[in-house]
Amino acid sequence: MSENTTPRTETEPQTETATTGTDQPLTTTAGESVEQTRDEWREYDFRGEAKMTVEDLDVHYGEDHALKGVSMEIPEKSVTALIGPSGCGKSTYLRCLNRMNDRISSASIDGSVKLDGEEIYQDGVNLVELRKRVGMVFQSPNPFPKSIRENIAYGPKKHGDLDTGLLARLLNRSDAEERDELVERCLRDAALWDEVSDRLDDNALGLSGGQQQRLCIARCLSVDPEIILMDEPASALDPIATAKIEDLIDDLSEEYTVVIVTHNMQQAARISDQTAVFLTGGELVEYGETDQVFENPRSERVEDYITGKFG
Amino acid sequence: MAGAGRTDTRLVESETTETDAVAAVAVGLSAVLFALAVAALFGRVSLTGSLLGVQTVTLLGGLLTALGGTVIAFGVGSRFGYVETNPDPSAGLIAGFGAAVPWVVIGASVASQTLGLGAGVGVVAGVATGAVAFAATVLPREDLGSTVPLGALLGVTGLVFLTGAIGPTWVWELGWAQQAAITAEFLIPVSTLFSALYGGWASAKAYGGFGARGRHMGAYVLVYVNALSIVAFLFILVAFVVVQGIPGLLNGTEFGFGTGPTTSVFGVSVALPVSVPFLMNGVALFNDFQGVLPAIVGTVWLVVGAVVLAVPLGVGAALFLTEYAERGRFTQVVEVATNGLWSTPSIVFGLFGFAFLIPRFGNGKSLLSGMITLGFMLLPLVVITSREAMLSVPDEYRDASAALGVSKWQTIRSVVLPAALPGVVTGVILGVGRIAGETAPILLTMAGGTFVPGSQTADVIGGFQFTSAPPFVANPELLQATSALPYQLYALITAGVGASSNVGNADEFRWATALVLLVVVLSFYAIGIATRYYFRRRLRHT
Repeated sequence: MSENTTPRTETEPQTETATTGTDQPLTTTAGESVEQTRDEWREYDFRGEAKMTVEDLDVHYGEDHALKGVSMEIPEKSVTALIGPSGCGKSTYLRCLNRMNDRISSASIDGSVKLDGEEIYQDGVNLVELRKRVGMVFQSPNPFPKSIRENIAYGPKKHGDLDTGLLARLLNRSDAEERDELVERCLRDAALWDEVSDRLDDNALGLSGGQQQRLCIARCLSVDPEIILMDEPASALDPIATAKIEDLIDDLSEEYTVVIVTHNMQQAARISDQTAVFLTGGELVEYGETDQVFENPRSERVEDYITGKFG
Repeated sequence: MAGAGRTDTRLVESETTETDAVAAVAVGLSAVLFALAVAALFGRVSLTGSLLGVQTVTLLGGLLTALGGTVIAFGVGSRFGYVETNPDPSAGLIAGFGAAVPWVVIGASVASQTLGLGAGVGVVAGVATGAVAFAATVLPREDLGSTVPLGALLGVTGLVFLTGAIGPTWVWELGWAQQAAITAEFLIPVSTLFSALYGGWASAKAYGGFGARGRHMGAYVLVYVNALSIVAFLFILVAFVVVQGIPGLLNGTEFGFGTGPTTSVFGVSVALPVSVPFLMNGVALFNDFQGVLPAIVGTVWLVVGAVVLAVPLGVGAALFLTEYAERGRFTQVVEVATNGLWSTPSIVFGLFGFAFLIPRFGNGKSLLSGMITLGFMLLPLVVITSREAMLSVPDEYRDASAALGVSKWQTIRSVVLPAALPGVVTGVILGVGRIAGETAPILLTMAGGTFVPGSQTADVIGGFQFTSAPPFVANPELLQATSALPYQLYALITAGVGASSNVGNADEFRWATALVLLVVVLSFYAIGIATRYYFRRRLRHT
């Protein structure tokens, strides 16, 4: 992390804003310790490249300060878990990474998010391209009311990569074969192929909740993303479906960079390589290797949260 | 066996006892009475005639008295412990008001009319009787309260019929300036109807053993009767029009090769093997049988034109309002305006068409003006329902699509619109049902006379012509006045069809016109419902 040294000075005003937040339990212990913890997590050294670099990210929803000066680097081809109590801003943070918060008109976002070193919050960013590269899976499974095949082919079709329309068929230029290959590859990658290969033309809403969620993951893979953001993907599912999703995330992390928000600390401990803990008020309190965060947290608040005393 | 005041309930109901059977018979009796009353109201059962060898009024009276007696007996038996029930301490205020209303009417009528004491005394007597009924319902324990006042009501009504105090020929002259009278033909069925409802309510409560279960039974019976009567009235209305309209519709119908009019199908002249003059003719001097073909064709074209105009505009406006416009003052204003437009009286739309459209389209009543006027009428409903449909498309679909990097318009086209289509179609169905039967706007913008000659049948498709000068396409058929079924019906009734006209039987002609209108409107409904079903299926089980 060669460039870590330079932004460290920039975090100074950030720690000030954190200390001015009066009624936070952490700041009452010692304003100093905040600074220390922050310094330590920024030194968290991971193998490989930083896929995304977030610096001083502030999000306001109208008057509400949802995210306060978050800085963090997300390593490539790994699983990063974001944990924390409800309303702590972890979903907001996740939605900043592919600019889905732009869709909320009251949200205002300050700070910097870089994808492969390129700023995504600047004029002229192609949102289509950004969201193709940074895919997203939502909390509740949300397949389109179309067939399984259509669900997966939807993205590439809309981007013009696949053409199976009437005109293409008439001109004998239909990409039906490519489409079917793509559908099979995505479903296999999402560990769903064996269950649905014989009913690709059935409506996706007829699948079970877990299957629907894996279909959504497959749909996300169809546009060939580099990063997959998951917002509590297993919270609406039963334990067996959850286990399947977890196995799937493990497999996906070999090729993709996965960032996952979860309420379930055991899940975070099981599947993630590094964990970021957000606490109430929209602060990132600790970020480090998962084993270290869970076994030996640097912050007392995080220890309280993990051991169940708080949050 | 249960003593008075016993409140505990058995977990397992014993088998059907004799008393249960009595209550069930009472419920059945109420149903029979209700059906008889409806039949009598529509003249299907003659009040002066007899049923099952008994005079109808006597039969109704006897059944009502028997039902009332059964209900009271059940209540009293329960109060003194001969019948096993679980009554509450009181029947409740709502039951009290329910029982008070008919007693107010009876008390007031008897005091002011039968005893001739005048209106003032009548009001006082009515209120007093109602108060007694209210007290008798609310104060005693539920088994007495919910049976005795209602049973007495049934008994009184039944005895009035039995004794002939109100017989089949009874008439009450209201003595107003207009000739108005309440006749037995109306009063007997209606009072039987309401008595049967009350009887059914009370006996259903008794069947349920009063208490919570009894109230559930009572409410169930009332709701069920309500739903059933809606279906029944619709059915009766349709059946009535069909029965009255069939003779006129089939007047002069012939089957057989070559009897029908000649039409050309793909350039080949074919004589239809069936001839229904009412549907296939206009009006002409030498016709054996007159018909309403121009009006049928006019109605169909009107609706098609209005839908073609209103649906794209309305769906587009709804799209803009839900997907693009910032929710704020502007959308609120548009919303209020559309709602107001939808409740605007149709004659105002007609006047707009008359004053604005007619001078601009050939200065005469025309099919085109009618289409546009009706299109404007349909527009607000299409906007309102499409907006609702689009708002009910889950935001998750939009999020999922945006997260794949798909642009907003593509999302709307491939996800939002397909999911909203069933709702949009529902709105169009409702709107078409309204405009297809609309008379006033057509009267001012399009209609061309009581009897429309066959030559005025609009041939919209054949009417298109290409011209060398702009606008290059012209269609004189659209600028011609023609007729539509609702207007034709209105004109037939107001202008009248004299005995000297060459329409055989004027009454048959009118009913047949009404029947054809009904069938045309219902066909549009059927098309709409089929379309909606198709789109829903595509959403659910592709």
